[in-house]
Amino acid sequence: MLKNRLVTRDFMLFGMLLLLTILLFILDIFFGSLLIPFKTILQALSGTGNVSPEIKSIIIDFRLPKAITAVMAGMALSISGLQMQTIFRNPLAGPYVLGISAGASLGVAILVLGFSSVFTLGLFTISGSWALVIVAWLGSALVLFLILAVSVRIKDILTILILGMLFGSAASSIVNILQYFSNESMLKSFIIWTMGSLGSVTTSQLNVLIPSVLVGLILSFFSVKSLDVMLLGEQYAKSMGLRIRNARFLVFTSTSILAGSITAFCGPIGFIGIAVPHIGRLLFKTARHKILIPSSLLLGSIVMLFSDIVSQMPGYESTLPINSVTALVGIPVIIWIILKNRKFSSV
Amino acid sequence: MSNQKVNITVRNLSVGYKKGKKMVAIKEGINVNAYAGELIALIGSNGIGKSTLLRTLTGFQKALGGEILLNDRNLNSFPIKELARVLSFVSTEAIRVQNLRVWELLSMGRYPYTNLIGTLTEEDNSIIKRAIQQVGLSGYEDRMIDQISDGERQRAMIARTLVQDTPLIILDEPTAFLDIRNKYEIIHLLHEFVRNENKTVLFSTHDLNISTSEVDKIWLMLDDKVVEGAPEDLILAGNFDEMFHSDKVYFNGESGDFKLRKNRLGSYGLKGAEGKIATWTGRALMRIGLVCDESNPLVMINLPNVAINPVWKVVINSVEKFECTSLYELTAELSERLKG
Repeated sequence: MLKNRLVTRDFMLFGMLLLLTILLFILDIFFGSLLIPFKTILQALSGTGNVSPEIKSIIIDFRLPKAITAVMAGMALSISGLQMQTIFRNPLAGPYVLGISAGASLGVAILVLGFSSVFTLGLFTISGSWALVIVAWLGSALVLFLILAVSVRIKDILTILILGMLFGSAASSIVNILQYFSNESMLKSFIIWTMGSLGSVTTSQLNVLIPSVLVGLILSFFSVKSLDVMLLGEQYAKSMGLRIRNARFLVFTSTSILAGSITAFCGPIGFIGIAVPHIGRLLFKTARHKILIPSSLLLGSIVMLFSDIVSQMPGYESTLPINSVTALVGIPVIIWIILKNRKFSSV
Repeated sequence: MSNQKVNITVRNLSVGYKKGKKMVAIKEGINVNAYAGELIALIGSNGIGKSTLLRTLTGFQKALGGEILLNDRNLNSFPIKELARVLSFVSTEAIRVQNLRVWELLSMGRYPYTNLIGTLTEEDNSIIKRAIQQVGLSGYEDRMIDQISDGERQRAMIARTLVQDTPLIILDEPTAFLDIRNKYEIIHLLHEFVRNENKTVLFSTHDLNISTSEVDKIWLMLDDKVVEGAPEDLILAGNFDEMFHSDKVYFNGESGDFKLRKNRLGSYGLKGAEGKIATWTGRALMRIGLVCDESNPLVMINLPNVAINPVWKVVINSVEKFECTSLYELTAELSERLKG
């Protein structure tokens, strides 16, 4: 039967994507401004052989956390994008375009610029990291709820997107004003934060980032069933017995944690959240979240690892900003989506 | 399949919406009933509150007053999960989700029954399969919902209510946007659910012709009241005449549907032919504004009773005479001559 053939095809696709993720993860560690032999990398990772402490440090303290961060960012942003596309029934929704990343930045700015005396404990300690991540969650959640409030009154997809962008711009403007009124030392620590990238995440920050992302992902697994019925819109979802308020709360919490955590440590990363779920739909030809969530996890990791490898520009000394690379990877996908459904019906 | 039956009792119901703190009632004092095994059409002109009433009956919207009882139990006392096993709903909104297959859409109907992650059991699968067959969509299981016709999509939405396995199904204008054949087939389908499975099915519609010939009962929303009864009862009681206050449209109690009022050109009489050709000649003359009056007609038409190459012989005012070989010619000629 056709249905069984489809299931086999799904499994094969998942297998291939998993292999690709592992391959890119290894390649991401392999590539960098310094060319380290493959064998040395394996030895450093496994702790065997005779590896010089400098090389070991490059791999264990720098390249490995960066690759792990890339995977985390890819998974978190893709899943938050997928959840938003479903809940707003909008194929162009994502944490970046809807201003949720900007909301997270606002949270961080208020903390760093407004309460820097409290914050002298530093960005790189564990408690500092937690403070950073929590204000980013709150900032994301604030923008999300604003968008929800307007989406009750306005059904038009493009209008909501424009409003999301406006909220994002407003958040960014407030950040700029805060910067203007800040003293030099506050500004310095904030500028350091804005220059955040995948590579700037330290091992101690990973201790905060990984559990945060995992919590966000686990919450999204619990939404698998309700996200499916939400595809049909609020009325249908209710008529099938969904408690819409609880379901929305769960999805929003998950999205705020996922998008907020990544923005807190890596800065705003655009277009992954919109693009990746669509690649998943294209490959698996389904709307079921039981398939779309795992496929977004793998594809998100793949795209982020790939973007990170490109941003290294293997063989060159300098690196490209990750946000530029993800934009170049994501924007063609978005243009394709726009051309494909000019009528802008729904996800 | 559940063998539960549902009767709806609506007592002194007021429906409407809240505007700020003010309650705006659209319709008050609604008293109607629906019994298990009945197919019921909700009819009323645009803006009279059909959708509001349906939304209130499905529990999406709070009643402003009065009560809705499902088997003597108040609708408000049903937790949302329990209500989803009693009542399923099809809205007017066309669902155009991309990459959603027909069987995936149907499987959502199992939402009130499946576990946390929505695993489908053997039983669930066989219920889905049966529903697909019942609505005549076999072979469409793997088709995408945005790549099938409007009629097929509406069938899929209706099949989803079968999968949800509720004794009561409420549909908001299920025949809107459909062509004539699909309109009839959809109503026929609902008719079968009612007959074969004792479901209670309530739908709103503007298709008076189809509903008067198929449904068991009509809830008719008028300006000042809501009346219920068999379609024929309402026609005989003259309730449909109250539906519109229009000098352009009127209810024809003979044919059971609405007609456009014409400027009256005069009267006609028809001699000779009988049967189909006479009927349609009459319809053509009525279309251009002539009324049948055998006693002293303005236009007299003589039509020999032949099936092949009929000729209409016309006399106007006992003086003007002409002949036509088609009804097109006849209506064009008469309109032209009677204008002056």
